[in-house]
Amino acid sequence: MKPIVVKDVEFSYNGERILENVSFSVDEGEFVAIMGPNGSGKTTLLKLILGLLKPKRGKIEVLNLNPWESREKIQNYIGFMPQKEHISSKFPILVKDVVLLGKAARKKFSKLTKDDEEKAKEALRAVGLEDYWLKRFNELSGGQQQRVLLARALAVEPKILLLDEPFNGVDIPSQDKIVELMDELARKGVTIMMVVHNINPLLHHIHKIVLLNKRLIAFGSPFEVLTAEKMVETYGSSIPIIVCEEGYAHPLFGDTHG
Amino acid sequence: MDSFATSILSQPYILRSILAIILIAINASVTGSFTIFRNVSFLVAGASHAALAGAALAIVLGMYGIINLNPIVGGAIFAVFTALAAGYAAKDEGINTAIAISFAMSMSLAILFISMIREYAARVWGLLMGDLFLLTDYDLVLMTISTLFVIIVAIIFYREFLFVSFDMEGALAYGINATFVNYLLLTIIAISVVVMLKGVGAILVFAMFVAPAAAANEVARKISDVFILAFIIAALSGFFGIFVSFYAEISPGAIAALLASLIYFLSVAFKKFQKFQKIG
Repeated sequence: MKPIVVKDVEFSYNGERILENVSFSVDEGEFVAIMGPNGSGKTTLLKLILGLLKPKRGKIEVLNLNPWESREKIQNYIGFMPQKEHISSKFPILVKDVVLLGKAARKKFSKLTKDDEEKAKEALRAVGLEDYWLKRFNELSGGQQQRVLLARALAVEPKILLLDEPFNGVDIPSQDKIVELMDELARKGVTIMMVVHNINPLLHHIHKIVLLNKRLIAFGSPFEVLTAEKMVETYGSSIPIIVCEEGYAHPLFGDTHG
Repeated sequence: MDSFATSILSQPYILRSILAIILIAINASVTGSFTIFRNVSFLVAGASHAALAGAALAIVLGMYGIINLNPIVGGAIFAVFTALAAGYAAKDEGINTAIAISFAMSMSLAILFISMIREYAARVWGLLMGDLFLLTDYDLVLMTISTLFVIIVAIIFYREFLFVSFDMEGALAYGINATFVNYLLLTIIAISVVVMLKGVGAILVFAMFVAPAAAANEVARKISDVFILAFIIAALSGFFGIFVSFYAEISPGAIAALLASLIYFLSVAFKKFQKFQKIG
């Protein structure tokens, strides 16, 4: 069984077509990156998989279920990390409360057990922040906050992990820590889909790439997808590509001078 | 001091104002804090002015014999409607823009209705200014019932409110009916605002409702501290207002709101000073 199957999916919002003709499937334990310019439908695709949006046409299956119809069921198996820009850190919520929110919501806010707390601590340990349990979330750096949000997603022991731009405003050590952890989780059979602007930090670790610009430009291994032609088709202008010693094609986005 | 203490027992209006301050402080703590967490402070101004329109409409309807509705109940209905409309419109626009438009609309309606009930207009304007010393037993009963309702809802939905305030998208993704929870939160904020209206008025409710929680939010180390500190700041400001006005014959609501606002600015300065010391 493929945990995520997307077939001929189309989605419009307020009459504007956001996605059309998107088809791909992801195997268990695969680590997949979703790339594309701003407004290309990357976050929409994650929301469709989560069952938060209903496709206008086409079919999505998550763990053999239609996510729109069986949202509650499939959400039990998904860990989600939203974009940090959508998080309000204006009040003194503690790291432990953030990590436990996901777990508590899953349990319909019935009493959390010692075991739940242990799982949350374990998730925090996995992202390297075990000493931050009682710290205020809004006192952490951007990178640490992202790692706490990742811990919240891990604490629900997901089969599928969906991450929306986890590297935004993240320092290099946090970035490395997240990539390392994703590698380990994928090896354990967790299926991961991650929206990224800059693919380079994880290029050597991912199995496949979804290249998106309102439609599916390409889907496959980094070697198949990251070609000069496909990048032009996606981003509308040529993006310099450098091939590293291991043979990976690294696209150099805007701020990088080869 | 003695005469004030004796008056508390001998003058029912002082006792009523003290009870009102306790109820107002509870609202400022419970829903005031969530207003800050959810970042919808402006909703307080929107809801309070919508309540004026609702109260005026209730009087108009009563005057024409259509329905006999307590102006405060009319106000609560309008305030809740404004909160829900703002929450709905905020799906596309920012919530503050939506509240600002509802605010303008409510004030237009309020003035329109008031112009139709000139002889009773003072009752509505009374809600604009508020007076802690003019509260009746009936007002206190209404305030107590709505405060109890707000407390019960806040206790039942505490974690949902927190999740939605922290991260709406995440809440949806983790299986919370975030749209319903968001509307419920906006509703109890609107109800809380109306609870305070007769005591402190639509103009000052903003200071009494938002300032204590905002000040507490600046200095608190954890969420529970925000609730506790907001209650203490609101209650102290209110009691100080009553105490001063007993001797100086000035509006207790104004003194209370002034003190609460001052405490907010002091707490911001304190926080900045603390940060500066850390960097230094």
